[in-house]
Amino acid sequence: MASRYRITRAAYLASLNDFREFIKEHCANMPGMNTEKLYDVQLAVDEACTNIISHGYAGLDPGSIILDLEVAYDKLIVSLTDFGHSFEPSSAPIPDVEAPIEEREQGGFGLFFIQQSMDEMDYQATEDGNKMILIKYLSKTDGGRQ
Amino acid sequence: MKTEMQHENNSTIVSVSGNVDALTAPDLANAIVDQISQGHVNLVVNLIAVEFMSSAGLRTLLGGVKAARSHGGDLRLISTNPGIDKVLKMSGFHNIAKVFSSQDEAVASFG
Repeated sequence: MASRYRITRAAYLASLNDFREFIKEHCANMPGMNTEKLYDVQLAVDEACTNIISHGYAGLDPGSIILDLEVAYDKLIVSLTDFGHSFEPSSAPIPDVEAPIEEREQGGFGLFFIQQSMDEMDYQATEDGNKMILIKYLSKTDGGRQ
Repeated sequence: MKTEMQHENNSTIVSVSGNVDALTAPDLANAIVDQISQGHVNLVVNLIAVEFMSSAGLRTLLGGVKAARSHGGDLRLISTNPGIDKVLKMSGFHNIAKVFSSQDEAVASFG
């Protein structure tokens, strides 16, 4: 039977630690979880929330970020909802991780890290807010994307 | 996040502890820039006591490597946390800067 948990915080950088701690509190002792997978989920949530805070609510009064966690027997489903500007994941630039330092751009790793750390990612912009859904399978031996 | 400085031989060790995220990374950037502006351009950033680092921390370290090299020095890392190692590997950081597993090795690398 799945367990569900929710945390809502204001879209401030000071809230990032609360989201990471929430993940740790509810996921660290799950069957199939290990320190590498836990870091993956914390990283993906941190990067997604940072994007919402820095870009989603840019030019707007900071709204809220709702994190819903569903813990099923072999997977973790994280849903992040915000009410700021939406974005198009497929239009985000892919960082060149082979580039020499002189050619490195300053940013661009956030979405890339989310995709690398989680097994599935979906994003929907609806009238009820923007929703990013992240899934991590716990039965896989590899902590990263296959 | 906390940073502590220590000068040893030909290098300056920046020991970082806690979390390096988008909130705290600017403090690390300031600490690195401060050292370079004081002429300490051979930097060893010790991440052993860091529990979590996001792309914001990575961006700061990349900026630190660029700044140190532009002043004739270098920035090298110490990391033993598997999660942070994965962040470094995903970004190709190992192709850009040297990463060591102990402070002695990192300090010795500056000769």
